[in-house]
Amino acid sequence: MNIDFYLDIDTVIHRFDGRTKIILFLASFLALVLFEDPLYILPIALLILLQNFLARAWMNIWRIRFLLFLLTFTSIIMWNLFASGETHLFWFVDLESLLYSIARTMLILLMIISGLNLLSTTRNEELVLGMIKLGLPYRVGFAISTSLRMVPTISTSIHTISQAQRSRGLDLEGGGILERLRKFIPILIPVFISTIRDTNVFGMALESKGFGARDDRTYYLEMNMDRSDHLVLAFCLLIIGISLYLEFAGYGDIAGLTKF
Amino acid sequence: MAESAVSIKGLRFRYRDKKELVIDDFSLDIQEGEFLVIMGANETGKSTLVSFFNGLIPHYTKGPMEGDVFVRGKNTKEHKVPELAEDVGIVFQDFEAQLFSTNVELEVAFGPENFAIDREEIKRRIQENLEFVGLEEFRRRSPATLSGGQKQKLAIASVLAMEPNILAMDEATTDLDPISKQGIYEITNKLRQREDMTLVVVEHDTEEVLDADRIVLMKDGKVAELGPAQEILRRGDLLAELGVMPLGIPRFFEQMGSSTLPLTPEDGKKIFEKENWKISDSLYRNLVEKEQDELSQKKHEPIIQVRGLKHTYPNGVEALSGTDLDIYKGEIVAIVGQNGSGKTTLAKHLNALLIPTEGEVEIYGKTTAEQGVFEIGKKVGYVFQNPDHQIFSERVYDEVIYGPRLRNVPDDEAEKRVKESLKAVGLEGFEDADPFSLTKSGRQRVAVASVLSIRPDVLILDEPTTGLDYDGQRGMMDMVVELNKQGSTIIFITHHMWVVAAYADRVYVVKDGKILLEGLTREIFAEEKILKDSFLRPPHFVQFSNLLGKTFLSDSEMISCMEGK
Repeated sequence: MNIDFYLDIDTVIHRFDGRTKIILFLASFLALVLFEDPLYILPIALLILLQNFLARAWMNIWRIRFLLFLLTFTSIIMWNLFASGETHLFWFVDLESLLYSIARTMLILLMIISGLNLLSTTRNEELVLGMIKLGLPYRVGFAISTSLRMVPTISTSIHTISQAQRSRGLDLEGGGILERLRKFIPILIPVFISTIRDTNVFGMALESKGFGARDDRTYYLEMNMDRSDHLVLAFCLLIIGISLYLEFAGYGDIAGLTKF
Repeated sequence: MAESAVSIKGLRFRYRDKKELVIDDFSLDIQEGEFLVIMGANETGKSTLVSFFNGLIPHYTKGPMEGDVFVRGKNTKEHKVPELAEDVGIVFQDFEAQLFSTNVELEVAFGPENFAIDREEIKRRIQENLEFVGLEEFRRRSPATLSGGQKQKLAIASVLAMEPNILAMDEATTDLDPISKQGIYEITNKLRQREDMTLVVVEHDTEEVLDADRIVLMKDGKVAELGPAQEILRRGDLLAELGVMPLGIPRFFEQMGSSTLPLTPEDGKKIFEKENWKISDSLYRNLVEKEQDELSQKKHEPIIQVRGLKHTYPNGVEALSGTDLDIYKGEIVAIVGQNGSGKTTLAKHLNALLIPTEGEVEIYGKTTAEQGVFEIGKKVGYVFQNPDHQIFSERVYDEVIYGPRLRNVPDDEAEKRVKESLKAVGLEGFEDADPFSLTKSGRQRVAVASVLSIRPDVLILDEPTTGLDYDGQRGMMDMVVELNKQGSTIIFITHHMWVVAAYADRVYVVKDGKILLEGLTREIFAEEKILKDSFLRPPHFVQFSNLLGKTFLSDSEMISCMEGK
């Protein structure tokens, strides 16, 4: 079980500067939240998918396909409850609310994919260094990267521990909701305790390697913006510019939609 | 007089949540350039002591402390841990938790980066230290993909990159197979060539510390004995008394009444030949034949049959590539192999935690695929390596009765089983104890009891002796033998070769997902060359007897076969 998303391959996206990749992620985020109409989200969606394709990161989407299906399914239904429109279709679903639900679902999925694009192509250290060069303090950047690093560790221990308990006869399937929750206790407690212990060793190892010895530090990793980074950022700026213009000019909304 | 690298003066310390002192009036001077080994039973304060060297105590872990620790003249009370990192490097036992970078180079760079060393110099240090530990070809790899031994080498390189003068290893080789262990000690021996490098090593394995300058034996947080390594290692009774494994070779020569006590197999052979001793061929033949008779009687009723087992993990890694294995009722079988050879994957198939990608695993003639974990769990119990991966209750009693309850065993029957299981593991009267407050060997026993209470016919133990001291290891294995006498069939995974020599009837050697060797323990240990290829080596005593042309598993066995004795 390995939940580290970084793909150690060489693609055009991998070669971008860490800062560029972070900005791409933030820009996708901004462009996505501007519009209510799926049609306006579509071009941005295509760009994000293109980035994914160029980064050869589709296997990471595949890896979390169940989560994505689940989100799609619940989100398409759920958002109808929070909006209504003028063209009634069936039950609580109107044409406008359906469009809105599709847009929201696209937003969620695309944000996840955009995040995956970032994590698939950017090493942890590169991410930290990128964030620092964009102005974040080192300790904050390091904290973010550490929490990302904990994910695979915790998922491995969840896996081992649930195997240990299953071999003692724990059956996680079946039973009501309360009973199911109760069944997770024998897994959660050991996970919790072993995570605390790991974190403790991690903290000791960190300090023993001189973490925080001085106010300044150097970086072995080199980061340089080159022409391709500038081109991508310029393109990114253009898209954001167009999106903002359209939004302020009143495009991209769904006519007749009422949100609760 | 050489300057002290570490000077400990009248040290007393207790952890905040404990009543007793872990370190009690401890004083010691470690000379610059010395190789010092700290040994002793578990819970005698060895790791705690090492934590003082770079200030982890009292800065990171706090507690009431008396006395002082000076590292190259600096009082550790007055210097924070990160500041001391340029003086003292520490390598820990847990190799997962101390590596945190995404590739090998960056891992080594991390320390120097913290000291604002410029990039060119970092580059040089990466080159130098990866070369030194023999990992240059892995520089672009992710640490997670390295083997256990390689991870510890990387941990050493990453600490050496800060150019400390003192390197402390806190049970750094405990989780490693014998040859990887040797690899680490080859590195420490190379480090000794640097005159100003001081080495402090906490180690359980007596056979690995023959090259040390001095050994300090600890008991109850005090110095129990301090002296030249060669001298201490010859005092088998003293070592045993303090919970450290005595060496078989000097013990043999002592019992034979020899005036010189050799430590290594080679020296042993020389002295053996000089004394003109002889092993009786007929007595040896009797020993071997008797053993074969006894053990072949056990091979009647097959319980587990594995045929052409292949397993490929979802990420595409083929962990097992065509394995056959048979387990008969009443046997004690050891599965050995390098870290990552596939032995745990194999064992997990035996109780259906994993289902074969190809091939078959049959338990009592039915495949695991058709029975599932819940059913098979009743027949084959699995004790995981780390007891902390399964203990969750506040009382020992609740932990042990959990299995029977899940299987709807009636209350009075379940209670009876808890009693029996706790008795079997030597924890009678501990029903109300908090499992988390027990020692590692205590928690290990709780884990075994909580599997025993399901009353499986077969018990699989994954590394049952790892992390235990000599007494703990013996206690655990004596208990396992007792269970075997009462009818349990035992399978255990280990890289403690002396445990295999002393306790296993039969051995499977796993290498690269295949069974490389199978046979009686004696037969397996006679194949030193093949074992070496799979990162294993017999205990020194067995190696010594192999040099003499016979394979003896213990000194008492050999003595019983001596001519004229």
